[in-house]
Amino acid sequence: MGSVVEIAPLTRLEGHGSVRVYREGRRVERVELQFIDSPRLFEALLLGKSFAEVPEIICRICALCSTVHKVTALLAVEDAFGVEVSEVTALTRELMLQAGMIQDHALHLYCLVLPDLLGVRGVAELARVAPDLLKTGLAIKKVGNQITETAGGRLIHPVNIRLGGLGRSLTRNELARLRDELQKVLPAAQEAHRLFNTPFPFPELPTPDFLVLQPAEHPLGAQACSMVGRASFPLRDYRQHIEETVLDYSNAKLSRVHGKEATVGALARLNLHPDLEGGAGALFKSHKQELVGKDMRGNNLAQAIEMYHATERALRLIDRLIELGPRQEETAAPSPRAATGCAACEAPRGVLIHSYSFDSQGICTMADVITPTALNQGALARDLLALARGMEGEETNRMTTALERLIRCYDPCISCSVHVLSL
Amino acid sequence: MRRMKLAITGLTACSGCQLTLLNCEDELPELLGHCELVYFPLAESGNVLDVQFDAAIVEGAVSTPKDLELLFKLRNASTHLVAYGTCALFGGVAAMNNRVSTRRELLRSVFGAGEKLPESFPPVPLANFVSVDAAVTGCPPEKQEIMELVVALAAGTLPPARSYPVCTECRSHENLCLLLEKRELCLGPVVQGGCNARCPATGIVCEGCRGPVREANVAQELELLLERGFGRDEIERRMSRFKPEWDYGKRS
Ligand code: SF4
Ligand code: SF4
Repeated sequence: MGSVVEIAPLTRLEGHGSVRVYREGRRVERVELQFIDSPRLFEALLLGKSFAEVPEIICRICALCSTVHKVTALLAVEDAFGVEVSEVTALTRELMLQAGMIQDHALHLYCLVLPDLLGVRGVAELARVAPDLLKTGLAIKKVGNQITETAGGRLIHPVNIRLGGLGRSLTRNELARLRDELQKVLPAAQEAHRLFNTPFPFPELPTPDFLVLQPAEHPLGAQACSMVGRASFPLRDYRQHIEETVLDYSNAKLSRVHGKEATVGALARLNLHPDLEGGAGALFKSHKQELVGKDMRGNNLAQAIEMYHATERALRLIDRLIELGPRQEETAAPSPRAATGCAACEAPRGVLIHSYSFDSQGICTMADVITPTALNQGALARDLLALARGMEGEETNRMTTALERLIRCYDPCISCSVHVLSL
Repeated sequence: MRRMKLAITGLTACSGCQLTLLNCEDELPELLGHCELVYFPLAESGNVLDVQFDAAIVEGAVSTPKDLELLFKLRNASTHLVAYGTCALFGGVAAMNNRVSTRRELLRSVFGAGEKLPESFPPVPLANFVSVDAAVTGCPPEKQEIMELVVALAAGTLPPARSYPVCTECRSHENLCLLLEKRELCLGPVVQGGCNARCPATGIVCEGCRGPVREANVAQELELLLERGFGRDEIERRMSRFKPEWDYGKRS
């Protein structure tokens, strides 16, 4: 007799999703992963809007990732019109990306994953059972928030970063305060790996096909995408290498790269760019066995190491900004022309690509956004099936708990994934 | 004190409003002592819907049959229903094209011309379907506003509504007026304050993310912008970003 087990709604992740496991007796036939956020159709909404409006509107795709969406959109529009920005602007933008990394990883690890490790329902119970751990996590996250709020003018959907420049640059005092705050959480960020190195109680998963942006040293200057075991391809040609399919049971499209289910995000980055600087580099070396060539069960550990790395890197960026001193450059208004621009950034959850075309008046005629979660969706579905099969015959409850934990390893962001491209 | 039972969730939205709550790091641990998060899928597992809630805090516009079903359930089960954020109150970014393109056109241009389109209608505010007891505006709302709301709910009351425009706060900070002095397309005069004029404070125009202020003099703003050389199309496009319908003839 066939039966279906449903997990709905999926919890402790961003957006609305569900999973169905179809069984024939004990045997698992298939697993359906549904992303059911109501579609907001951003790519269609952008058509007919002016280039200046694009970054302000598109950041609303997703709250958690609004900074990286805004930065990527700015870069794509600037790419179309050939706009160059100053070093202060570039450093401030990168600082905000690092802050986003800290916020996202801290929120995910301490508020959404930690309850699994301690066997509680969520943040409310955490506050009772492990108040100190929760406070540590919130303190790390708060520094990310402070940076975004100070540099971006607002925590979610930041306003201070704009085309060609900044609304205002940060003062010495503000930079010094942020540096102090970062320094305070540095030890906690360094220790986080111990907590999230707990082995996961489920069987081995398929080996991922990692995908990252290159070059890693220039987070705002991605030129190419590279996948393990494949020649890298220029960012500009991404459409020839990434295919998307509409699924009839999900509101997010499925992306495949070179016909494979790509895996993007923290673990992918550590695998393909293992040369981290500073303390995070040393930390990574000591954990190599658990990370290199490993499956997604290692992703939370990778996030913990990246969180530390982002804290260190943010400190270096701030030092450089202090050295340069605050300066208010005039931002030149870009002059629109008929063109297409494309840019990509490593969002906390992985590769994010934006591409726009404009007519000679600067009115948007094509918008395309590829999000990390859309890229990861295929790999996640594959892993869910593998895990469900690996646990055939076990109690249903144990299986659904394991499946939910696996989903949290991926840290999916469903708001991001559901909105998809125009063809 | 009895801990109040809360439902917190999102419909057609970006989760930014819900996340604003989780961003109150300093207040969060204490706050969690006052309420029971019975239904909060973003941050909790083991959620239940079939209980009586003291309040349901709902983010997002309504644009699918599923949204509607959840909204009705929460309305029936809750003493207070709060429209949380600009999407829930005015439709928000997802609704910006409601007046200019049909839902079907939009869906087709995103999902292709195939048979299978998601079920979806033009995004509208919660109040189009249910009665709403309190509102917090903003895209996203200010932290302090969500704190005020939760504190008021815990005390069995509702927070007071604000009724002054962004300009009031902007002037009290002595910012450079972007509309009059730099001749930029700033919506401050017709938009609800409470954000401390965040955007003009960094030298960037108010994009209207908190929706209309109660006594908005829309006609005057329109005249002013037309005088400054902005086209009617561009003005309406900007005004619609967070709320598709405005009464352009309205004078307060
Ligand atoms: S009001 Fe803004 S922050 Fe809130 S859900 Fe809507 S788009 Fe997101
Ligand atoms: S100034 Fe305007 S756009 Fe900026 S936060 Fe306030 S209401 Fe929103």
